[in-house]
Amino acid sequence: MNGLPRKALLLLISVSISTIAVAGDSGQAREWLERMSAAMSQMSYQGTFVYVRDGAVETMRITHVADDSGVRERLYSVSGPHREVIRDRKGVRCVLRDSAAVVEDQFIASSYFPELPLSIIDSESAGYRLETGGEARIAGHPALRVTILPEDSFRYGYDFWLEEHTGLLLKWELFDAEHKPIAKLMFTDFAIGSAVDMDELESDSRAEDFIEMKTFSMQKTVVTRSKPRWQPAKLPPGFQLTSHNHKAGEDVIYEHMVYSDGLAAVSVYVEQQGTEPAVKPGVSQLGTNNAYTRTQGDLQITVIGEVPAITVKAIANEMALSVASN
Amino acid sequence: MSKESLEHLSRLMDGELSRDAGSFLTRRLFSDEAMCQKWERYHLIRDCIRQPGSKQVVTGLSVKLSASLDAEEVPTVSAWRSNRWLKPVSGLAVAASVALMAIVVTAPQTGQVPGEVDTASTTPVNQPFVSPNTLTRSPASQAVNFAPAQRASSNRLNAYLLRHNQMARTAGRQGFVSFVPIVVTSQASVKDDSKDKSESVESGYKLETAENR
Repeated sequence: MNGLPRKALLLLISVSISTIAVAGDSGQAREWLERMSAAMSQMSYQGTFVYVRDGAVETMRITHVADDSGVRERLYSVSGPHREVIRDRKGVRCVLRDSAAVVEDQFIASSYFPELPLSIIDSESAGYRLETGGEARIAGHPALRVTILPEDSFRYGYDFWLEEHTGLLLKWELFDAEHKPIAKLMFTDFAIGSAVDMDELESDSRAEDFIEMKTFSMQKTVVTRSKPRWQPAKLPPGFQLTSHNHKAGEDVIYEHMVYSDGLAAVSVYVEQQGTEPAVKPGVSQLGTNNAYTRTQGDLQITVIGEVPAITVKAIANEMALSVASN
Repeated sequence: MSKESLEHLSRLMDGELSRDAGSFLTRRLFSDEAMCQKWERYHLIRDCIRQPGSKQVVTGLSVKLSASLDAEEVPTVSAWRSNRWLKPVSGLAVAASVALMAIVVTAPQTGQVPGEVDTASTTPVNQPFVSPNTLTRSPASQAVNFAPAQRASSNRLNAYLLRHNQMARTAGRQGFVSFVPIVVTSQASVKDDSKDKSESVESGYKLETAENR
């Protein structure tokens, strides 16, 4: 009689120990994140997923192909007004049929700043804690969980469920510092490699179908290694400059800086207000992205990124013309 | 999957489920693969049924029809015969039902904001057409014309985000996920700034200066 409970107890202890060992291995988590990063760009995959945010559920479809012709990607809504994002070597094109608009941007490949290694988010000062642990079957594929926990309120946390063999993302959850869910995404069907239907890369949207064709003058910019003229006096812990580009020509002010902590990234745009449509001042929300816009003289400063509102606002309010450029 | 689950799924799509039941079902969607597949199929069916430019949205029709057909008992001939005196009255009842349906079906075209249902003026509380549901409907039924200035501001933010996703290579680590908010949200919502001021004060976190970084 006593033998069975003891065996069960031993089994429970051994399972608990192995779970703790897996959960405590942040190096393993980093390896999985590196696999995910490579797989998401270099592999071909296709699937339908549901996206949940603020109680709203939407269905979308993604086709990502990486072959001799380069990387091509088409993301579009299955339900509701047709919206799609197409990425290829020419750039990125966003079709919003419900507002009859097309927004596009040229392809920008290079940066003089080195890409932040993932090891940076594993360091003590990074503001994150990494964990692995948990198995599930998602869209017919075995998946493992990698969790990134934020250690302050300046960044969000993530739960990634990755396909066991390839590291491709099957389920994604975004949550705040108090682990309150913000958005979730999960595939309902998923195909890899040769199973991908290439025809789905073709868009049926034609430019002439749209009343508005928005292409922004910001596209004619140059990537630079020089220090930005506009810089934040202070930044949230762990964030550093990772990219800078500005508009060619001395008479026009346009600067774009990217600050990152290795996982989250924030863009700062400093622009002269002119004929281009301006962004309404204040805090805006674009899905899971927060943006904060303020004006200073004839300049408009907008900070945007998938970070909490306090982060974009704090950075925007710290932006100032650097002393060296005066 | 039970018939009840299918019906709930259909009602969730129609925005007829209560907030609590909707949240529960949404959580279940993430763990129940069969239900996810059903959900996807319903969306495809709905997209097939909907005519381009049509204001009327037909949702959950097949499930509702099959459920109601299964539940309905076929009346016997003798039963009808025994109630022959009811015939004229039943004709009136059918006419009244059709009239009521016409009112209910055309009600959303009277300038109401999509997703909002005027529970007081349309149907009694226990009717399935209305619900205190605060779940946001899928934007399938929310093609809204935004003011030009607002739309321009929204498109500008979309452009900023497109450029941001290209330049922020860390964002590329999650691949297409960074672009999902653009597909989901065709326009940005502007928050109440005063609320946010208090948030930043309450947070009490210190920013790093260039010197102590």
